[in-house]
Amino acid sequence: MSLLVLRIAALFYAGAAAAYVLYFARPRHAALATVGQWLLTAAWVVHAAAIGLGCREYGGAEFFGLRGGLVFMVWLGAGASLVVQRLYRIPSIGAFITPLVLVVLLPTLFLVKPDFPEVLPEEVRRPMLTVHIVTALLGVALFAIASLVAVMYLLQEREVKGKRFGALFSRLPSLAALDQLNQRLVRSGFVVYTVALLTGSGMAKVVWKSAWQWDPQQVSSLVIWLLYAAMVQLRHTGWHGRRFAFLTITGFALVLGSMVTLNVLPAGFTRHGGDFSGVRK
Amino acid sequence: MNSGRELHLVGLSHKSAPVAVREKVALGGDELKEALAALAARAGVGEALVVSTCNRVECYVYGESLEEARHFFLSRTAEADGHLYERSGRDAVRHLFRVAASLDSMVVGEPQILGQVKEAYGLAAAAQTAGTYVSRLCNRAFATAKRVRSETEIARGAGSVSQVAVELVEKIFGNLRGRAVLLVGAGKMGALSAKALRDLGADRILVTNRSPERARALAAEIGGVAEPWETLTSLLALADVVIVSTGAPTYVVTRDLAGQVMKARRGRSICFIDLAVPRNVDPACGEIDNVYAYDIDDLQRVVTQTHAARAEEAIRAEAIVEAEVMAFAQEREARAALPVLAELRRRAEQIARAEAERTLSHVGGKLDEKGRRSVEAMAQAIVNKLLHGPTARLKEAAASGDSDLPGAAAELFGVGDEETHSPRRRPDADTGPDAHPEPRR
Repeated sequence: MSLLVLRIAALFYAGAAAAYVLYFARPRHAALATVGQWLLTAAWVVHAAAIGLGCREYGGAEFFGLRGGLVFMVWLGAGASLVVQRLYRIPSIGAFITPLVLVVLLPTLFLVKPDFPEVLPEEVRRPMLTVHIVTALLGVALFAIASLVAVMYLLQEREVKGKRFGALFSRLPSLAALDQLNQRLVRSGFVVYTVALLTGSGMAKVVWKSAWQWDPQQVSSLVIWLLYAAMVQLRHTGWHGRRFAFLTITGFALVLGSMVTLNVLPAGFTRHGGDFSGVRK
Repeated sequence: MNSGRELHLVGLSHKSAPVAVREKVALGGDELKEALAALAARAGVGEALVVSTCNRVECYVYGESLEEARHFFLSRTAEADGHLYERSGRDAVRHLFRVAASLDSMVVGEPQILGQVKEAYGLAAAAQTAGTYVSRLCNRAFATAKRVRSETEIARGAGSVSQVAVELVEKIFGNLRGRAVLLVGAGKMGALSAKALRDLGADRILVTNRSPERARALAAEIGGVAEPWETLTSLLALADVVIVSTGAPTYVVTRDLAGQVMKARRGRSICFIDLAVPRNVDPACGEIDNVYAYDIDDLQRVVTQTHAARAEEAIRAEAIVEAEVMAFAQEREARAALPVLAELRRRAEQIARAEAERTLSHVGGKLDEKGRRSVEAMAQAIVNKLLHGPTARLKEAAASGDSDLPGAAAELFGVGDEETHSPRRRPDADTGPDAHPEPRR
């Protein structure tokens, strides 16, 4: 049932992506951006229903699998982009975010084999875990959007510096707007990610009786956190524009890389991702 | 049109006349209002509209001939002769639509002309020379211009160098609120661009020049602050947009200076717009992070591109104009063919025929064939003479969309039947006057 609703949500996402991309191609039709915004809102609401139904079906254990994590992260990312659209009114961003949302969501529509433990151990059923999951996924979603905005910045910078003034030049927002948005996304992502890191080590203490274990997940998370902390700090010392955009993209590449490698590594090597072998011992 | 009135245009523009002639003819404000009133007072002129900008003066007359419009120009200067173009009827309508849609402008697609036509219409309305026809015509012209702007990309891009500069700055900084613009040198184009940037919201405009007097004069002119030339480096650390147009033969802003300035700015973006020839800003400055440097050629290239793109869009715009001209003409004809007119004529002719027959049945025996025909012709002539005035008035009213007069006529002549619309008609109007046309015994 939740899968069916999720597929309906995906249809709405596809509609929103189409509207935004069309708007990007033909900016004269401003109504397309409005349509995109409404479709995205609709998709987000239906997606929320799908997640709610999924919780009833799997008892919340699904978020420990890759699929459930992705579904939830996409939902948070779509919500964040709706907020960004509300605050900044830069509809051309939609043409970049919505297709990505759709692409990330696509595998979850067909990957139906459960990849999560059937029952969650009692020890981890804590509010702290919920906070950890939500903040970790939201942080990653914000970093993802920030890196997209950074890509937009680099594209626009190439136009402006290269004196090209073509289609992209007129369609993309100003460098100042993109740079500022990038900075705010990185900053808020960093705050959220910090909470995730703290609750994560809190959970580690509960499960492994020690907050730090040199676990690969913990190490990579810390590296990512340090990188973003450095970015927030460098901003004050005049790092912005092109260099900041490159850093943002590097940061997210690192996030993606760690997510992929940690999921590819044999189970048991990492204790993250719902493998609670340590608990059961 | 039977009334003989249509739109006539006589005008001259940047395409037909040199500026020396245009400036002799051009007129504005009160002068224009007086000229309009004088024009409308002449015989054969129903309504009038004069569009006067620095690139064109056009006199539109809704009347019997274009002689009056010609006279308008020749009375201003005899030099206008030979530079004038003339259009009548549909061609005149098309011309106005093209002008309003900025298809006839020097820079095709430039946005000012529509406002100028609107202004011309406002003046004509104030001088009471814009009647129902001109109002209808102008509104259609405005609607056409709006369609062209929204359905084609003719207005896209920047049409002039200072517009390109503004667009560039907008893409780098967004709006300019809280930012400073520095004008280095006292070139005319630089001042123009600085003004355009102030309209974008720049808070502070700083002016510096080797000659302090000129800096002060220019600062006063554009509402900026004059700063001493020696402080250039610290000024560069302050300003976000720098417009350079000095007469210096070498680079005023070298790569070294730009690098130094960027350190002082802690990397904050800066945009150099170099309008000088020879160039005053080393193009290598653009290689530094967050430094954007453009010279006059860069800007000019965009202008050329824009013009080429607009020429393509103009083809689509012409099709829209053509459709609107057709629609305008059809609308006018449809209104002219008001049923009340046909009905009035039919009734009158019926009566004439009946009366002629009656007379002939009494005295027809005493007349030869020629005499009979004269009686019939006389009846027809009376009808024609009698109806000539009302017909002309009604057609005029119809053409301008006035629905009151046809209604009143329908009531007055008792022809207000099914197909005619007469808002003031009372229910008994159908039957009451019907008895009237009956000949008295």
